[in-house]
Amino acid sequence: MPRSTFCRSADHALDRRAFLGAGAGAALAANMTALNALAAPDVNGALKKAQKRVILLWLAGGASQLETWDPKPGASTGGPFRSIQTDVPGLRISELMPKMATRIGKTTAVIRGLNTKNGDHGSGAKVMMRGRRDESGLRYPDLGAVVAREMARADSKVPDYVTFYTQTEGRSFAPGDSGFLGARFAPMELTTNNYPEFIKKLDGITDLDHQERGELRELVGKTFEKGRSSETMNSHNEAYQRVRGIMASEKLFDVTQEPEKVRARYGKTQFAEQALIARRLVEAGVPFVRVARAWWDSHGQNFETHQEMVPELDHVMATLLDDLGERGLLDDVMVVTLAEFGRTPGINASLGRDHFASAWSCTISGAGVKRGAVYGKSDALGNKVVAEEMDAGSLFATIYTALGLDPNKNYHVGSRPIPLVNPGIEPVKALVK
Amino acid sequence: MKAPNPDTLKAVKDIQRPVITFAVARAEGSPTAYFGCSDFKVYAGDPTAAKFEPKELYAHESYVTGVALAGTTLVSGGYDGKLTWFDTKAGKTIRTHDAHAKWIRKVIASPDGKLFASVADDMACKLWDAATGKLVHELRGHAEKTPNDFVSMLYAVAFSADSKLIATGDKVGHVVVWDAATGKQLGAVEAPVMYTWDKVQRLHSIGGVRSVAFSPDGKALAVGGMGKVGNIDHLEGKARVEVFDWKAGKQTAEFPGDKFSGLVNRLAWAPDGSWLVGAGGAGEGFLLFFDPAAKKTLKQEKVMMHVHDFAMSAKADEIVCVGHNRITVHKLG
Repeated sequence: MPRSTFCRSADHALDRRAFLGAGAGAALAANMTALNALAAPDVNGALKKAQKRVILLWLAGGASQLETWDPKPGASTGGPFRSIQTDVPGLRISELMPKMATRIGKTTAVIRGLNTKNGDHGSGAKVMMRGRRDESGLRYPDLGAVVAREMARADSKVPDYVTFYTQTEGRSFAPGDSGFLGARFAPMELTTNNYPEFIKKLDGITDLDHQERGELRELVGKTFEKGRSSETMNSHNEAYQRVRGIMASEKLFDVTQEPEKVRARYGKTQFAEQALIARRLVEAGVPFVRVARAWWDSHGQNFETHQEMVPELDHVMATLLDDLGERGLLDDVMVVTLAEFGRTPGINASLGRDHFASAWSCTISGAGVKRGAVYGKSDALGNKVVAEEMDAGSLFATIYTALGLDPNKNYHVGSRPIPLVNPGIEPVKALVK
Repeated sequence: MKAPNPDTLKAVKDIQRPVITFAVARAEGSPTAYFGCSDFKVYAGDPTAAKFEPKELYAHESYVTGVALAGTTLVSGGYDGKLTWFDTKAGKTIRTHDAHAKWIRKVIASPDGKLFASVADDMACKLWDAATGKLVHELRGHAEKTPNDFVSMLYAVAFSADSKLIATGDKVGHVVVWDAATGKQLGAVEAPVMYTWDKVQRLHSIGGVRSVAFSPDGKALAVGGMGKVGNIDHLEGKARVEVFDWKAGKQTAEFPGDKFSGLVNRLAWAPDGSWLVGAGGAGEGFLLFFDPAAKKTLKQEKVMMHVHDFAMSAKADEIVCVGHNRITVHKLG
């Protein structure tokens, strides 16, 4: 049967796959439709039923491990804060985190041995969002895009990947990026406020108008489709369906829908409200939400900065974990605290700490993580990792495994298989249930 | 007595230290100074001696950020919230108590030697009887939260020369003058330029009033800090001093800074009131001399460290600066 083209002109008898194949960047531009065709249909089917989700608390600029998860009180590098005992025997964290200190055993694994070798904001952020460096000509998808790809429901009426990054500093260093997974898994980026204004129905259109316009578009579309076969058409229709679904989800972003006592519990700071919206989103099935809290880059007055910001992190993180637990979501929702790097043990003349990627910390809570686990050890001054070192790749392999994903699972870009993490990288089993 | 001319300032000693020294106190006429340090310890030593050999006296549980002397009684305070009373003659600790719920930022003694004052991030200024150690007054006039709902900090405190007035300054630039005898608030002035809240780029703050000092007659109050900061990752605001007629609540002089960036951590007036000296820093430090009456900057001297505190002799002819990994001695006249 001859292939049907839009205008029946021989000049345009070029199908989409052939078009993509013709360009130099063809493989990189492979979109969701192509990936769907290449992925085994049963892959992750069972997991999608359980649908794990992730909230990434992105501590942009680089929070200090010494003022959070790996304090060194009394050391020359330790700074002025004391450590406090947590509910995990032998584990002490900064006194700035009293709320998390009582919750780690039931919720969280602490990783103290990150050596990610990149102390630059821009490239460090990319590595820590993707788990590896891009290759020349190959842009890897970030954690959000992979989770969206793996966990999104086919019939989802909510966005798959949402990222809040309201402060301007560092935003361009770590934009959400779906890489070779294509636009289908690109994030919905909220930068100016907590509400995606562009999904609102125009005030001048009534609900009935809106519905009738949609029905008319469908009618015209179906008439046009008759006798034609086109992936582009299918993708177009799918996109419309998703936009309508997302428009219907606008209330998810409206924090005023929450009872006042819940809002008060989280607090009224921007970070707190965005964390609460993140909970609303994952509860509704959004696979990945990043809440970026900038800006921790404390080259001057490190202790003042952390005195201001860590208590907020402690409160918001503890409240979020409590809330998820009370709603029965903590086994399915993972909360990660991560940044592009940590901060130097050395204290500079401005009482600041500088960029440092050789021995820093992050946490993973909920989902399939072994709660109360502590992995990695830095030396007495915090200058280097002396046991159980992890790099970005092993961290991502561990995150994927704790979400029930096989980190060796392959995507295909053209005919090239691309695993979720680089070949040979293993998850840390001690951190996974 | 006429104060020495700031133009005669010269550095005579530069001592390298393995620690950050946050506070210094020195009794008039004594070569011995007392130092509060980042290794949590309090030391005694003569910085003018040919060889500086500090002796460790005792330790806190965090940075020691305030030391003050009244006669032979030394009181130190730190980020552990504790005040320790030490008899320098007997070489013994008298008492240690939990004085504040949060970091103690500064400890000073009244010029008449009857009171100690401590300020802390619990936003209280506490006055202590120097002889008995008993709490005399708890002064509360600074908000615990900034207008942006983050914790505030109470950095600065000073007595007037007659010991009757106390001034306190906080993170958002609010400065209160108190009656030392009654604990009542007498006035307030504002230095909001010294507080930078970055709502758009970084969502946190930097700055604050870091130093206050009454003129010898008690009529003028100098306030030190840093001007508005563009990139609050760094102490890049210009070193800033404002002078107020505190009774009228009016600013009388403003020194916005031009040469040096960073915080003005310590201020003192010449005994004749003819000039005002401020010290502080960021990556490096400074000593700045002003003539508040003429509204003129008299001298700006680079110091090879971020200066956290200094002790000036009664004649203003010697200044011992302490700070990041160094102690320096400057002479005037």
